[in-house]
Amino acid sequence: MKTRYFVIASALVLVVGIGTGMVAYYVGVPQLGVGRTGPAELRYVPADAAVVAYADVHTLMGSEIRQRIRQAMPGQENGQREFKDQTGIDIEHDVDRVVACLEPTPGGAGEGRGLVLARGRFDTARLESLMRDHGATIDTYKGKQLIIEAPPVPAGRVNGGETFAVLFIEPGLAAVGSEALVRRAVDLQGGSGSITTNDELMNLLRGVDDGTRTMWAVGRFDALAQGHELPPQIASQLPAITWFSVSGRVDSAVSASIRADTRDDAAAKNLRDVVQGFIGLARLQASARPEFKAALDSVQLGGTGKTVTLSFTVPPSAFDLLPNQASQPRAH
Amino acid sequence: MNTSSRQPSTAFSAARIFELSLPQMLWSRRSILLALLVCGPMALATVPRGAWIIRPSQFTDATVGFDIYGLMIWLLYVRFIVPVLGVFYGTSMIADEVEDKTITYLFTRPIQRRAVILGKYAAYLVCTLLLVLPSAMIVFFLLVPVGGGTSIGVQFPVLIRDLGALAIGLAAYGAVFAYVGARVRRPLLAGLAFVFGWEPAMVVIPGYLKRLSVAYYLQALIPHARPPDDAGPPLIVVALRGLLEEPSALGAVVGLAVIIGLCLWAAGRAVEQREYVLEQ
Repeated sequence: MKTRYFVIASALVLVVGIGTGMVAYYVGVPQLGVGRTGPAELRYVPADAAVVAYADVHTLMGSEIRQRIRQAMPGQENGQREFKDQTGIDIEHDVDRVVACLEPTPGGAGEGRGLVLARGRFDTARLESLMRDHGATIDTYKGKQLIIEAPPVPAGRVNGGETFAVLFIEPGLAAVGSEALVRRAVDLQGGSGSITTNDELMNLLRGVDDGTRTMWAVGRFDALAQGHELPPQIASQLPAITWFSVSGRVDSAVSASIRADTRDDAAAKNLRDVVQGFIGLARLQASARPEFKAALDSVQLGGTGKTVTLSFTVPPSAFDLLPNQASQPRAH
Repeated sequence: MNTSSRQPSTAFSAARIFELSLPQMLWSRRSILLALLVCGPMALATVPRGAWIIRPSQFTDATVGFDIYGLMIWLLYVRFIVPVLGVFYGTSMIADEVEDKTITYLFTRPIQRRAVILGKYAAYLVCTLLLVLPSAMIVFFLLVPVGGGTSIGVQFPVLIRDLGALAIGLAAYGAVFAYVGARVRRPLLAGLAFVFGWEPAMVVIPGYLKRLSVAYYLQALIPHARPPDDAGPPLIVVALRGLLEEPSALGAVVGLAVIIGLCLWAAGRAVEQREYVLEQ
């Protein structure tokens, strides 16, 4: 009898395990990444990055919304094709997801430095060849090939801006962006110092990334305005937002949530009042356009204390307004 | 009286022997070794998994869990657990019956002698498969997500391939040592010499001799588990990687199938022709 129980139990463990694996393989159940928040590529983002963003490119490219936009604006494909011709990367099929970050330049001058980490399938030899043809040079950094492309020198300046670099940190993961950040990404491979140790930003991220979001962005709002040399009259009018987070899900509809943390309660209240005003204005305008009504009805403004939240959903019917260029007669 | 017409078929006889042998094999003292062998990797796998849960920021390599899994499959399961189980269980199929002096009772039954070895082989296969495969699968589930760079879903085909390779490895080693147990006087010593002497020696002996080992074919079915070329000093890498050349996956499966078929046939012939002298 106990032999029979053993055989049944063992076979059951095997069947359940293989069944779970099959479901995960075919359906794509998010892995039980216990203790991990956000995509694995965050380990290559420096801890002092001011803004971090993520996009599930694979899902975005295959979404119904994107197909509709593609039919309405086929000109976008030209840009995609040009990018593919220059880099060998087909964004639609080769890239699964991207994580991008923005780091303020030391001293606060300039627009900041950016880094994009793209996970997918890349023809590294072709990419290298194409970039060489465009004047890039090849260097080696910690055993990895670093492709560096110097930016064009603007007229009247001795030196150009930040150099642009591409490096494959691991198979299927490309780091593209400022050379300094690309090198730092390689440095982060061997030790700590990544954005995952930034508790403030990771706490924001935990509230945003529940594993179902197609895209999100979190960061310091002041980093976005930094280095743009705004006139003091305008800079003083910018809302007193410290941290922000934006997340969205794209499938047949587009749903988004925006959260802003302000300096104090009064600033949050003022911001809520401003947004409420814009929503009221939009509703006035939309009274003549019933197709926008559903989207505006979904807008929810909330938040307490120093936090302002805004969420909305754009239904599929709103995208019916996009002109279908394929059906329009061509001009002769 | 025509007794041959009353003799049950080989398959029926083997099935009866299987029913008799499975509980004996499963609940024997040897099973303590089996339990330690299959539980050891699972216990080891809980260490990185626990570390990943407690302090995920420690893990800088996104696929470290999958790499550790591959290493354990290669070093623990393929190079140690599977051959050792084959030796201890395969050689004991007939040897235990001889030692316990119960082989006479089996051979006096109206069943073909080769059905005895086939039934016991089937029992060995069921016993080891139902212990080793769940163990490897649990190790997979524990380790692959560690690091966060890959997932169970993405690597699921690798698990299926590894489970298949382990199953065919158990079948091959079991068949080889079933023959050794049926033919050789001290089968356990011969088996251990084969596993820890002959097969590792194939690493340094060039030529066709390596084709006379099970590991030569088995490692072709698990390419992901082999250490990379820059894992360390060349001699160590060669020793760890095993053999320098390997057949294709299809060639490996065919080769192992031939080994299983030949060895089982030879074991059946040995059992039918040999006179087993019981020590007084």
